[in-house]
Amino acid sequence: MTVRSLRAAGVLSLLILATRAEAIPAFARKYGTSCSACHVAWPILNPQGQLFRDNGYQFGLGKDDPVTVSNAYVPFAVRTTAAYQGTRTTHQASDGDPVTTRTGGVPSPGLDILTAGTIARDVSFLVVVAGFTPDEPGGVESGWARLSNLGGTSWLNVKAGKLELDQPASSHRPVTMTAGYAVYGAHPDGSAVAFDLGENQVGVELDGHSARSTTRYAIALVSANGDPGSSGVWSSPLVYGHVQQAFELGNPVLPWVRVGALAALGWLPTEFATDAGEPIPGTGRAHKRYARVGGELSGMLGYPSTPFLFTAAYLYGREDAALGGGTEANGFQGGFVEVNWVPFSDVAYNATPWLLFGRYDFVRYKTGPGNVDGVTGGARRYLAMGPRASLAIHAEVHADRTRQAGAPSPSSGTNLDVESQTLMLGLDFAY
Amino acid sequence: MTSHRLLAVSALATLALALAAPAARATPADPEAARRGAKAYGRYCISCHGTAGDGRGPTAEWIDPRPRNFTSGTFKFRSTPSGELPTDEDLLRTITRGLNHTGMPHWRALTGREQRDLVQYVKTLAPRFASEPQGKPISIPKPPAFTTELVAKGHEVWNKMQCASCHGDTGKGDGSSAPTLRDDWGYAIAPRDFTSGPLKVGDRPEDLYQAFQTGLNGSPMPSFAESITPEESWALVAYVRSLRKD
Repeated sequence: MTVRSLRAAGVLSLLILATRAEAIPAFARKYGTSCSACHVAWPILNPQGQLFRDNGYQFGLGKDDPVTVSNAYVPFAVRTTAAYQGTRTTHQASDGDPVTTRTGGVPSPGLDILTAGTIARDVSFLVVVAGFTPDEPGGVESGWARLSNLGGTSWLNVKAGKLELDQPASSHRPVTMTAGYAVYGAHPDGSAVAFDLGENQVGVELDGHSARSTTRYAIALVSANGDPGSSGVWSSPLVYGHVQQAFELGNPVLPWVRVGALAALGWLPTEFATDAGEPIPGTGRAHKRYARVGGELSGMLGYPSTPFLFTAAYLYGREDAALGGGTEANGFQGGFVEVNWVPFSDVAYNATPWLLFGRYDFVRYKTGPGNVDGVTGGARRYLAMGPRASLAIHAEVHADRTRQAGAPSPSSGTNLDVESQTLMLGLDFAY
Repeated sequence: MTSHRLLAVSALATLALALAAPAARATPADPEAARRGAKAYGRYCISCHGTAGDGRGPTAEWIDPRPRNFTSGTFKFRSTPSGELPTDEDLLRTITRGLNHTGMPHWRALTGREQRDLVQYVKTLAPRFASEPQGKPISIPKPPAFTTELVAKGHEVWNKMQCASCHGDTGKGDGSSAPTLRDDWGYAIAPRDFTSGPLKVGDRPEDLYQAFQTGLNGSPMPSFAESITPEESWALVAYVRSLRKD
């Protein structure tokens, strides 16, 4: 398989595989709140949920410590999704001319197990074992411990383990299930870099926030995923930073906006000692740099409790020429615009709110194929948003085009564009 | 002075008095803000406080202490005299700061508009706000230095007011009356353990002073406003704070 076809497969898998999302009903059971206390509509956090998370899963009112909780409380949550998914993909290689594939059915429902909370005051943790299916064992998606409020200030918190980098929009908490954020995992054609901003990374994070989490920052030093292993006191280093500032405008139409900026700088080795021709991890040297910089704007339209949320993010990436096998540094730019709307339903506990959502993703490379345009849209109807469990009917459609990522044209020999459409309809359950 | 002139003067005097000291009026909820606040209530409050605001939401059974029943207009944590309605600021304070050791979190991450709208919606759930004036905050004098002498004086006040019968000799909340205490709704209620942690409403000396002066409506904790002087109240604050062991 060529590098190009590998990339195309990667893009497609990103778009087709269901994205797991984090929501932890165990917290609702612990505190007696409903999902909507912390989620606009799970799994999307509202500002209250963001503050709770930023504070190390604590409200700080004497009810966080496990000894204050009923013995019957078990800090575990599970989530599963059972859905029909149908996909059509064009211009796939075959022994003959390029073909269009059509698949459909109910994939084996996966199961995620989540446990999180506080061990003691200002000591918290999260472990997510995700992806259990009848055919596959699960893997540890997240696993970290955090010391919060060091020195008595919310501006100093340290987290270590396998963690999600602080992002403009969480790749582990999106509402879309057929497509991830394309720009997070973008790489120029032939790139040796496998770093994916949306994938959890192993390392340490220093973060902080203001009393209401209107100002937030996170600085992380991680070993970038997909790095073959460089030599040094910190293997495969990547430094990442993200800041956000929210503004409460008091305007009935636009009551709240948030701006943010991020940057990442990584070093990838290009030379190794080898064993049977394979690189030996921990021997990489002759590092070359790759970088990401970006910004974001998000906000609420209408009343904040039942908002129309929007997020727009832009990311620019640049990678050293040596990392792509070319003579010039290559790069890309991309981003997404995402909207989520929760119309007001009723002042009733058993209200069954709707969530309507949509997103446009794009990636443009400086040179080479692989430019992506994708749109995703759908609706969720929450049949329950209670303090014990939650259930939603989820319907979603996705379509994208990846330029020159398909099989060669029989007539011209140039690689054809790949178009993909996905339909999903199912139940999303969290307990 | 003729009887007619006397009557006229009396009437004028009565009118003048009425104009000089107008009776406090009810301040019902702002309907527009309350309409918005209903949306916030439906998302954040309803599972505990219930659709009708009667403190009987689906999770109420599992929350100790139970969520506040708004419908009677009886609120524990107020700056107003015993028995009176709280101010809007009192309600806002509970929303934005939460209540320690309870299931009521702080909602400080909500926008200011949502917080204020919630106050107005909560007022619609208690008919008293439409017919009675809200109370005026008591004045809290500047606290004195908490000296050993003041603590000793506070111990005398503690004994005078028989605080130990509920809160126990050491303030641990294990007084002889403690097992018998009920709130206005008939639910068992535990006296505060002064040896550990802050009050539900806060950890400032002023929070204790206010509780002594206003009492906690709906609970067996009375107001001492008619029983002890402000000086004695501060002495009691000093003594109660000296009971903290953490």
